[in-house]
Amino acid sequence: MKKTFTINISGTVFHIEDDAYEKLQDYLLKLKMYFGSDDEGKEVVADIENRIAELFSEKPVGENVVVTMEWVDEVIKVIGMPEDFGAAEDDEPVTATGKRKRRLYRDPGHRVLGGVCGGLGAYFNIDPVVLRIIFVVLFFINGIGFLAYIILWIAVPKAVNTAQRLEMRGQEVTITNIEKSIKDEVKEVQESVQRLKKSDTYAKGQHTATQVGDVAYNILKVLLKIVVIIIGVILIISGFFGLLGFISSMVVGHSLVADWPLVWSPDLQMYGFLGHFVTPGALTLGLAAIGFLAGIPLLAMLFIGTKLVFRYKSNNTAIILSMAGVWLISLITLVVLSVGQAGNFKDKTSLSTSQVIDCQSCQTLYLELGEDKWGDYSGTNWKIDRFKVVNADGEQILIGKPKLDIEKSSTGNFIVNVKKKSRGGSQSDARENIESITYNFSQKDSTLSFDPYFIIGGDGRWREQEVFITVKVPEGKAVYLSESLVKIIYDIENVSNTWDGDMIGKFWEMRPEGLVMKKEGN
Amino acid sequence: MKLENTKAQMRKGVLEYCILLVLDGKPLYASNIIQELKEAKMIVVEGTLYPLLSRLKNAGLLSYKWEESTQGPPRKYYELTDKGRDFLGELKSSWSELVEAVGKIKSHKDK
Repeated sequence: MKKTFTINISGTVFHIEDDAYEKLQDYLLKLKMYFGSDDEGKEVVADIENRIAELFSEKPVGENVVVTMEWVDEVIKVIGMPEDFGAAEDDEPVTATGKRKRRLYRDPGHRVLGGVCGGLGAYFNIDPVVLRIIFVVLFFINGIGFLAYIILWIAVPKAVNTAQRLEMRGQEVTITNIEKSIKDEVKEVQESVQRLKKSDTYAKGQHTATQVGDVAYNILKVLLKIVVIIIGVILIISGFFGLLGFISSMVVGHSLVADWPLVWSPDLQMYGFLGHFVTPGALTLGLAAIGFLAGIPLLAMLFIGTKLVFRYKSNNTAIILSMAGVWLISLITLVVLSVGQAGNFKDKTSLSTSQVIDCQSCQTLYLELGEDKWGDYSGTNWKIDRFKVVNADGEQILIGKPKLDIEKSSTGNFIVNVKKKSRGGSQSDARENIESITYNFSQKDSTLSFDPYFIIGGDGRWREQEVFITVKVPEGKAVYLSESLVKIIYDIENVSNTWDGDMIGKFWEMRPEGLVMKKEGN
Repeated sequence: MKLENTKAQMRKGVLEYCILLVLDGKPLYASNIIQELKEAKMIVVEGTLYPLLSRLKNAGLLSYKWEESTQGPPRKYYELTDKGRDFLGELKSSWSELVEAVGKIKSHKDK
């Protein structure tokens, strides 16, 4: 006794036995998978269903005719299994035995946007939904999901015809499979070695030579494949993490991966940092240019890496040309911008202010470095030459080191002269830049404290500002250079030609011939 | 190199030409085409034909219309379009060129 179902194929009703039904359903499913779920595929499957209905109808008609297993087998034999169809629409011959090597494609049959996740899912045997969630999460973390998706969308070809769809779900790319294919090749090498050995006894010289070449070629092929895969993996890993680090430092300002030793990730807020050096309009453009300049090689690494490992087909020339094009444009933009920025340094001016130190009775003036207000702030701490960007209470401030010199005073008083210098696009521009410089020192009895830094206030930008402090010492009087001053003293002339670093912690007396080191005590 | 593979390749190359030839002059539905091709031993399994028909139709060489059948489901009758006829004409001349070429080479050998 067998259970029967009533089914409807192309508008005709049939009774069909339980097992025959299952077989037929399985067959139709295979056809659907083979032809795909786009319009063309659906039409072909519908046509074949139509034909199946027709074949069933040709059987002797009776009121209670039931489709049996034999009928279904017969029909399948007549219409054939997908692998017997031959890749009539593809140039490569289909190998009936064994599945094809799996390749990465975008899957138009399972797509939300470009079919990237569907294709990746097919490739890695993962539910595309999982991948989509990962992409969305990565998108919200720092945008890398978005970027990666776009790259894959552009670079990975769509599985258009049936052969490609078969390749998409072809033989799994697992470690064991890679291992197997390498083993196969190793075997090939061994066989060719063996052939060589056998032939040695009775082969002619020339024949042997070609066989030696054969062996060498095979060994080389295997080695090359392994090397290519290793290089590909390295490229993918470094390209991916490089991009991750780069994007997070560009966009978010602090890197997610800052603690990963493998990764290059400048831990600074690019925009804020550069803002101290470049005008705002140029900055955005410049940053974009920098982004492309550094990002494109990383993208290229990723692209080449995935190509080496997954071996998918793509329009290489177009991708490489467009990458190179954008890269060159960025380079040119950056050069043009830099030239434009140079205009901001065209003119220079200086401003001096002198202050008489009110300490008639002082025989010796004690010079020391004031408190380093910025020393406590950790955060970004970028030094360029004598300049530094510090993070103070959430604000970034550009500060610079002054230079301190000692000269002979032409009067009988101690005088401190502060000379500020700056460059600018014009004289007035340079003067404005000077006005934004703040520098202070303070006096307490016979002690002068010099701030360790001058501050470039407001939205002041770096225009080669300099602050020169000159302490003028009258003849017969002396100064004591405290050890902390080592940070700012700059090429102080003295009789003994003592180097700056050795002048600290000592008393120096101004004599007619210049500064002379005084013995300890007075 | 397998004989079967080479044969299949050769058949595959002229299959489209044969379909167009079969349809030349009279509209037919899939089963008729299959019958003709099977008799000529051009195809082994019927499944080969359907994707080809669909492709030729999408290329604008064929068109079809539905017709009711006395037994079984309605049938798709395919016929050549104007473009299909032109295409077939081209194929015919290049086929005779091929046959001539092969014939020439063979007769050369036989001498």
